[in-house]
Amino acid sequence: MPKSSTWEKVEPADWRSTIEELRDRGFIFFDFLTGVDQENVDGNNACEVVAHLATKDLSDSHFISTQVSGELPSITDLIPAAQWYERECTEMFGIKFIGGSTKPLLRHENLGRPPLRKSTVLAARVLTPWPGGAEPEIKEDGSKVGNASRRRQRPPGVPENWLKQ
Amino acid sequence: MKHSFIALIEDKCTSCMLCVRECPAWCIHLDSHTVDVTEEGARRPKKVNVLDSFEIDYSLCMYCGVCIDVCPFDALAWDEHRALVTNNREDMLLGIEELGPSGSS
Repeated sequence: MPKSSTWEKVEPADWRSTIEELRDRGFIFFDFLTGVDQENVDGNNACEVVAHLATKDLSDSHFISTQVSGELPSITDLIPAAQWYERECTEMFGIKFIGGSTKPLLRHENLGRPPLRKSTVLAARVLTPWPGGAEPEIKEDGSKVGNASRRRQRPPGVPENWLKQ
Repeated sequence: MKHSFIALIEDKCTSCMLCVRECPAWCIHLDSHTVDVTEEGARRPKKVNVLDSFEIDYSLCMYCGVCIDVCPFDALAWDEHRALVTNNREDMLLGIEELGPSGSS
């Protein structure tokens, strides 16, 4: 890890210029770029994109993040190595990088919603029995012991009545 | 402390199910039942959960440690054991006996 790191939040419009400026200031080691789903954080539905740039000797580094709602200008002309990460981010988080490559990276193009978004329901989660459904106060035949009047728990990430409508 | 194994301290577990519900990999299975315990001087018997079985499926566990963080009674802890290396999936399903902290065995 670099000895010192700085976190910086920028507007999507300043995304390219901030990265260009950092690169020109000597932050030439591009570490990664990824998405962070911000659903239900501060009541918004946006996705955050984070990039990490460091100096060549790794003594200093910058994390740059921005809130996007679907689109962000590509930085592949500034940092060619970012292309792989941008394509991954497109597949996994559904963010379009304008001016970047649109070629799919690993997933098939028609495979449905981006899997790393919280709003994407994972089918296996619905089909697999959830171990957390068991209650000590509820016997196997469904009868209750004591004050087990609580509502049955639902597994996280599976909407109510999903697949049962 | 190496983060190579998650140990269960059986005596501290109250079968509250928090670890099972928070586990993102759904790899913990817990079975328990309630019994009435009458304490001297108490008006009514107390309901106490008794742990019947506790299993971690190490073929699914990703060692994130959420179960350890979430346990209100510190019944789960990082340990220096290693989960078995095996060709057989069933060998990776460890129960109460195998999950004891190292040194206790």
